[in-house]
Amino acid sequence: VSTSMLGRNKYKNRIELLQGTLDMLILRTLQWGPSHGYGIVQALRVQSGEALQVETGSLYPALHRLERQGWVQSEWKQTESNQRARFYSITAAGRKQLQDDLGRWKQMVDVIGAILHREPEGGKA
Amino acid sequence: MSWFVGGLFERRKDELDEEIRAHIAMDVQARMERGQSRREAEAAAQREFGNIALVRDVTHGFWRWNRLEDLTRDLAYTVRVLRRASGFSIAVILTLAVGIGSACAMFTVVDRVLLRALPYQNADRLVEIRVSGKRGALQHSSPYLDIEQWQKRGHAVSQIAFYSYNRVRVSFLDGGNGATHVNAPTISANVFETLGVHPALGRGFQQEQSSGAVDPQDAHSLILSDAVWRMNYGGEDSIVGKTVKLNGDSFVVIGVMPRAFTFPFSADLPVVWTPLVLGTADATRVHNVTPDYQTIARLQPGVNLSQAEAELKVIQSDVAKAYTDLYYRDELTSISLQPYDASLIDGEIRKALLALFGASALLWLIACVNVTSLMLARATARQREMAVRGAMGASRWQIVQQLLVEGLLLSGCGSMLGLGMAVVMLKFFEHGLVSQFSIHEPLTPNLAVLAGLFGLTILSALLISVWPAIGAARAQIEPALRQGAPQQGSGRAQHRTRALLVITEIALSLTLLVGCGLLLRTIYALKHVPLGFRTEHVMVAKMIIPSYKFAGRNMTTELYQPLVDRANHLPGIESASLMSQAPMDHTARMEFSLGRASNSVDDVRRSMIRAEFRAVGPEMQRVFGFPMVRGRFFNEQDTATSQAVVVVNRAFVKAYYGDERDPGKILGEHLLSLESTRQAVVVGVFEDEHQVSAAAPPRPEVEVCIPQITPNTGFYTGAEGVAMDLAVRTGQSPSAILPELREAMRKASPDLADSKFTTMDQIVEDSFGSQRLAAELLEIFGGSALFLCVAGIYGLLAYLVAQRTREMGLRIALGAQRSNVMRLVLKQAAWMLLAGLGTGLVLAYFGSLGLRTFLYGVKPEDPWTLVVVTLLLLVSGLAAAYWPARRAAMVDPMEALRAE
Repeated sequence: VSTSMLGRNKYKNRIELLQGTLDMLILRTLQWGPSHGYGIVQALRVQSGEALQVETGSLYPALHRLERQGWVQSEWKQTESNQRARFYSITAAGRKQLQDDLGRWKQMVDVIGAILHREPEGGKA
Repeated sequence: MSWFVGGLFERRKDELDEEIRAHIAMDVQARMERGQSRREAEAAAQREFGNIALVRDVTHGFWRWNRLEDLTRDLAYTVRVLRRASGFSIAVILTLAVGIGSACAMFTVVDRVLLRALPYQNADRLVEIRVSGKRGALQHSSPYLDIEQWQKRGHAVSQIAFYSYNRVRVSFLDGGNGATHVNAPTISANVFETLGVHPALGRGFQQEQSSGAVDPQDAHSLILSDAVWRMNYGGEDSIVGKTVKLNGDSFVVIGVMPRAFTFPFSADLPVVWTPLVLGTADATRVHNVTPDYQTIARLQPGVNLSQAEAELKVIQSDVAKAYTDLYYRDELTSISLQPYDASLIDGEIRKALLALFGASALLWLIACVNVTSLMLARATARQREMAVRGAMGASRWQIVQQLLVEGLLLSGCGSMLGLGMAVVMLKFFEHGLVSQFSIHEPLTPNLAVLAGLFGLTILSALLISVWPAIGAARAQIEPALRQGAPQQGSGRAQHRTRALLVITEIALSLTLLVGCGLLLRTIYALKHVPLGFRTEHVMVAKMIIPSYKFAGRNMTTELYQPLVDRANHLPGIESASLMSQAPMDHTARMEFSLGRASNSVDDVRRSMIRAEFRAVGPEMQRVFGFPMVRGRFFNEQDTATSQAVVVVNRAFVKAYYGDERDPGKILGEHLLSLESTRQAVVVGVFEDEHQVSAAAPPRPEVEVCIPQITPNTGFYTGAEGVAMDLAVRTGQSPSAILPELREAMRKASPDLADSKFTTMDQIVEDSFGSQRLAAELLEIFGGSALFLCVAGIYGLLAYLVAQRTREMGLRIALGAQRSNVMRLVLKQAAWMLLAGLGTGLVLAYFGSLGLRTFLYGVKPEDPWTLVVVTLLLLVSGLAAAYWPARRAAMVDPMEALRAE
């Protein structure tokens, strides 16, 4: 799963997100309410301060995978501008999954942070 | 399969397309709202969205339906892979075909014989009532008075129907075009009701309410089977009400039974049913005078066999009291019930068939083991391929799935080929199978067999691919990729697995080969049994006698004497004679027993003698050459007007006196009377001969002289009116004299022209047909097993040698003798062979217990067979190991070391 940073160093700063991170972000976004694919991309961009642009090649497979796992469900509805679109919403199982993911994520950030914020004492990390 | 999910799949594809279009449309709109022109906005939105086709494809991957697409892709890939490795694929498919084919063929026979569905309603509730006594003999038929008691007092069985049927008795039905041979059982009116089947056309017999027998009004009615109706009367509805002639008597056809219905189930010929009307004789219980009937009854719902049996036993103990002869009463004190379907197949035959089926299953197992070994070898060679696929992102499950698909494809091809082999094999053995297991339907695989075949295919696929799959699932990707040569990295554990498979194969093959060896010895023993008569240059014509045409005439003088005279004057015929039943021929068999004059020990013993009874012509001795022990055989001076004479065999004398005293003592004894005033005396004793089969010991026998028999003789109809064999001795080939012989028979009576001819040698061979059949089948199974086994040993060792080329080269380079290297390989083979043979001998012992019913003159643990078969396997195994060993010894050290 890859996302890319917007801006001048778009290609240089391409980072590889850990497996499952995108799922977590999607679920988190959907917690605010049902949304379509385009909406999710926009929401993530705005919330990341224009730093994250989720590629559609990752987003749609992820959405369909989440739906198959029963963490989101979808239905066709009209948008405010009268465009027919598929709206995804988070399910109870999805909420639970998100809680688990967040817990794990926090743990990982703590662990990696602890390592990275140490003063180097010789040798490579 | 894609058409099945096609609709759903397409709909989801459309939905995804719409979703993508909506995404882009919204993006365009947002951009236009920010002030871009439509064209700019569209271009930017497209660019930002990226590759639409790619998004679509990747997203597809998460749909459930995709598995099927995957499967077809796997299948296509597998086909490509297997076509590339065509040698391997062919070996696997052929091996599986042999295993699956033989199992399929034997299952077809089992299905026909043991699993057949009888054409009756709830056939499993039908039982036969048999009377048994203190001396253990079972009687299949009883007089009506006994049946009446069971009917009146029994509550556990709902209907007791009865019938009279003799399988070998052939009746003549006069149709439009000459007389047809039919079986004509005489049945009570409630038989069809009991079986739960009703006429398809017309009606059944009217029932006499109290007894279930046929009402006298229907005494001249006849019911046809579907086969007779179509064959003789063209399937015309108008047949009902017409008069037909059966054995010269007129009957009115009143009904036609549905297609596929037959009763009794064992009938060989087309069937017509005649009415069983009770007569005055049925009101008595006189031994050998009162007619006896076989029974078929239906158990009441909710009653089981033993409950019904218990009830009938109580009734029978009362019934037996009605018999005044105390000695005879002891023979019918009890009852045993047998399910009708079980009564149709002999217990021994069932066991034999299951043993053969087991043998074919064994061969299948050997084939699977062999293929598993091949698959494992291939899995080793493909380790790198699998590792690369793993590294490219294939999940373990996908790799396992791939291997399962491969196994399924291979076993599927094997099954197709195997089905073909099964059909050929069944065709090839049809005669033996049909006559040994009395099968009446064509022997082709049916739906049940195809279902079994399908199951076997899946099972084979699982068996052969599960081991490699487990190995592949466990394999570490990294080491396999890191190492240079693809051959390396197959662990010791895998070698051991393959060695174990080969050992299993050897053990199972030994089991089959021992069975085969025992049967070959049996055949040899049977062929060398002294039969007591000459079989070479003897031809036998089996005649079915249209006795109704000779009603009121003397068949001895008007049919038989002229026939024999004509035959004896034909050129090329040394002598010709008549015999009511040729030795080992299973036509109408007659039994002779002596009445009991008193209750003395001698008389009781004599009354228990059950002797073969034959009417023979005086020339018979010249044809068969029975050696005489005492006295003389019949001669031309024994005529209807001379002193009545009989001859007996040595076994009869022994049974008559209870010991081996001088057989000449019996000469002059009165055993029977031809007519009330003509007492016959014994004039000769001949050497024992095998009357039933080569395997069965000689039985006591009494022979009477055909020219002495007249219509007034008590056994005239039985001896002359059912069947007669014409035996001729000739120096010429059968085909040379056949036309003239047939012509002579046609002149005697036109119906005799289509008699069956066979040679005495053939009759003797047929008498051990079941052993021959079993031996031939086991030769094929055992031979295939031996071949697979040798291939397995060779395959494993060749593979090991190829793997250890470097090691061997190193050894030789370091100074090892080539003979040492060779010994190293042979030692490995010897080790596997010894382990396999050791296990195999134990298996073989238990396996051959199943064959016991087939064996004659040899014990299941016969040491000679065991030694010879073990040696055979040992030598073949070592021969198979020799080539790889030689290759190992021939390794060029330089080349081997350079190769890596």
